[in-house]
Amino acid sequence: MIISVASGKGGTGKTTIATALALSVGYCQFFDFDVEAPNASFFLKPDIKHIQKVKIKQPVFLTDTDKSFKECAQFCHYNAVAIAGSEVIFFSELCHGCGGCILVGPQGSVREEDVVVGEIRKGMVSPGIEFFMGDLKPGTMRTTEIQNALEKYIEKEKLVIIDCPPGTSCSMVTAVKNSNHCILVTEPTPFGLNDLILSIDLVKELSIPFGVIINRDGIGNSEVENYCSQNNIKLLAKFPYDMNIAKSYSKGEAVISGRPELKEKFLDLANKVIKDKEAE
Amino acid sequence: MKKIVIISGKGGTGKTTMAANFIKIAHGHVAVDCDVDAANLHILLDPSIKKKETFIGGAKAKVTGDCINCGKCEELCRFEAIKDSTTDIKIDKLKCESCEVCVYICPTKAIELTDEKQGEYYISDTKYCSFVHARLDPGAENSGLLVTKIRNISEDIAYQQDKKLIIIDGAPGIGCSVIASLNGVDYALIVTEPTISAISDFKKIYEVAGFFNIESLVCINKFDINLDNTAEIEKFCANRNIEVLGKIPYDEDVPRYLADKKFIIDSADSPAAKEIRNLWHKLEKSLYK
Amino acid sequence: MKICISSSGTDLDSNVDPRFGRCPYFIIYDTDIDKFEYFENESRNAMGGAGIQAAQFVVNKGISTVISGAIGPNSFKVFNAANINIYSGVTGTVREAIDKLKNGKLVLTPAPDVQSHSGMGRNS
Repeated sequence: MIISVASGKGGTGKTTIATALALSVGYCQFFDFDVEAPNASFFLKPDIKHIQKVKIKQPVFLTDTDKSFKECAQFCHYNAVAIAGSEVIFFSELCHGCGGCILVGPQGSVREEDVVVGEIRKGMVSPGIEFFMGDLKPGTMRTTEIQNALEKYIEKEKLVIIDCPPGTSCSMVTAVKNSNHCILVTEPTPFGLNDLILSIDLVKELSIPFGVIINRDGIGNSEVENYCSQNNIKLLAKFPYDMNIAKSYSKGEAVISGRPELKEKFLDLANKVIKDKEAE
Repeated sequence: MKKIVIISGKGGTGKTTMAANFIKIAHGHVAVDCDVDAANLHILLDPSIKKKETFIGGAKAKVTGDCINCGKCEELCRFEAIKDSTTDIKIDKLKCESCEVCVYICPTKAIELTDEKQGEYYISDTKYCSFVHARLDPGAENSGLLVTKIRNISEDIAYQQDKKLIIIDGAPGIGCSVIASLNGVDYALIVTEPTISAISDFKKIYEVAGFFNIESLVCINKFDINLDNTAEIEKFCANRNIEVLGKIPYDEDVPRYLADKKFIIDSADSPAAKEIRNLWHKLEKSLYK
Repeated sequence: MKICISSSGTDLDSNVDPRFGRCPYFIIYDTDIDKFEYFENESRNAMGGAGIQAAQFVVNKGISTVISGAIGPNSFKVFNAANINIYSGVTGTVREAIDKLKNGKLVLTPAPDVQSHSGMGRNS
């Protein structure tokens, strides 16, 4: 079963909750799909066994001939190739590595080289959490390639927990789309409600069953809770705001560490979600 | 004309709250919300929309002609967007990156790129300034292109109205939305907080800003929840000559004011409000020195 | 000769736009026949490389001279390679800019403007 933990708004507690779920359950696959700003490893502290570079192929223009690369510049959808006289100006950060230059450019004058856009790290967290994360190289924009590389390790027969990036655009969709259940984490504020509604629209469109967790309850108002009850949306749990937890979090301590009652709560939450799936 | 973008790396550090409060106290400015897939600034600014436009983000490949199942497109697609091309071809719109390699290679010209509506953008008036904002449809891509579009419009408006400043609320992360919101700005104000997660993301977004030759300024929000980490951020900044413009204390009034959709700087005695006001004055000085 | 001016609008009374790569329109004025055309700048919506794409677009229109508020280093390269005269830091309306050019009141720009500076300079 694949459980994703997502949120329209950033900073609501996705990673806190996803990692707490994994640690409470103890045996699962855990994926940090927020490859632009991955943080789960601070709380899970995995023993990293393997690092895999993620590469794309980008063109190299052999300009020591009198061949024209105008075709490449015209073909490129991303404006990564431009011509100034006999000079080719190439913007690596804009290039998606589509291979178009090799196809349309002068035969034999365009070759390709591997360019690293990030990496995947795999490891273990005791007792039995298989940990996977992606890490995008700052300055590149190839979030997709990192997430695609990560996706290949999902074994859907296992219990899989996916920590998603914030928002509702394609990087979040990639993280959520394979899941059987999505836990939407929000905060009880107008920003939280606004973004919760956007993310609910999305998971409904993807036909993914979902439930809501209100985190840092008490800092705002009851609009989110009212919205959930008025719209028959399953409220899975509420976690009250707690300065001590905020301080633990700031140090990179897992919230269930030294809080057995919280660990129980997360175990119950996991069981509830798994049972709901089995009931379908 | 000056442009300042407020970014964070990590979500939830207070970008939008800061941006909104700056927008309230600034003068002669235009505002733009570049967090297009989870826009929040409008909640505080209460805009009246004057103009609404459809955003056609990009075209996706679609089989519109006679596919002869030769399989060439699938072989060459670097984004794994094409499946079953030798039997019953399927193009995954989410994975398609619009490169047109398949369009080019198809022997029967059976594939075309077709425009996809991916969102909307708005030009609005608020009590404080003109405001450009957008909404990306759920699951849509090309958020970077939508950000670029609204950035352009905000500059058009600023030139038309002879405004000297654009305040840009950025998106979280370090990907294409944020990079598009960084384009050509004078300063990036990085709002961070003293947590291990935020520090890691702060370093990344600082690196990205540097990669695009943008000077960063820093604000440490809720600095007093972990003084050791605050000191670590300050040391990182000092070593690189990055100015820490302000340190905002944790203040329960901030979320309370937000819950009522009010601006914290309107509070006479909030310690956070005082620091935000100071920070804005310092920022203004940097912009116009 | 054909002059390209970055413009905020579609006619000669529009202001010279302070940007080149991201301006909304280009006005191409033919001094031989005293007529002009305007073009929407489609490059402005590109995430990156707007200046250079815009420069390639106008070069392909057969211009000999470009006038703008500011011109960045990549566009500069394209114009240099095509031997195009560059006048940046120009303000006022498009009509005024053309008159200034005709009357020899504009100074050639020797080096690109750094991207974050606005069009203040010798040609204001």
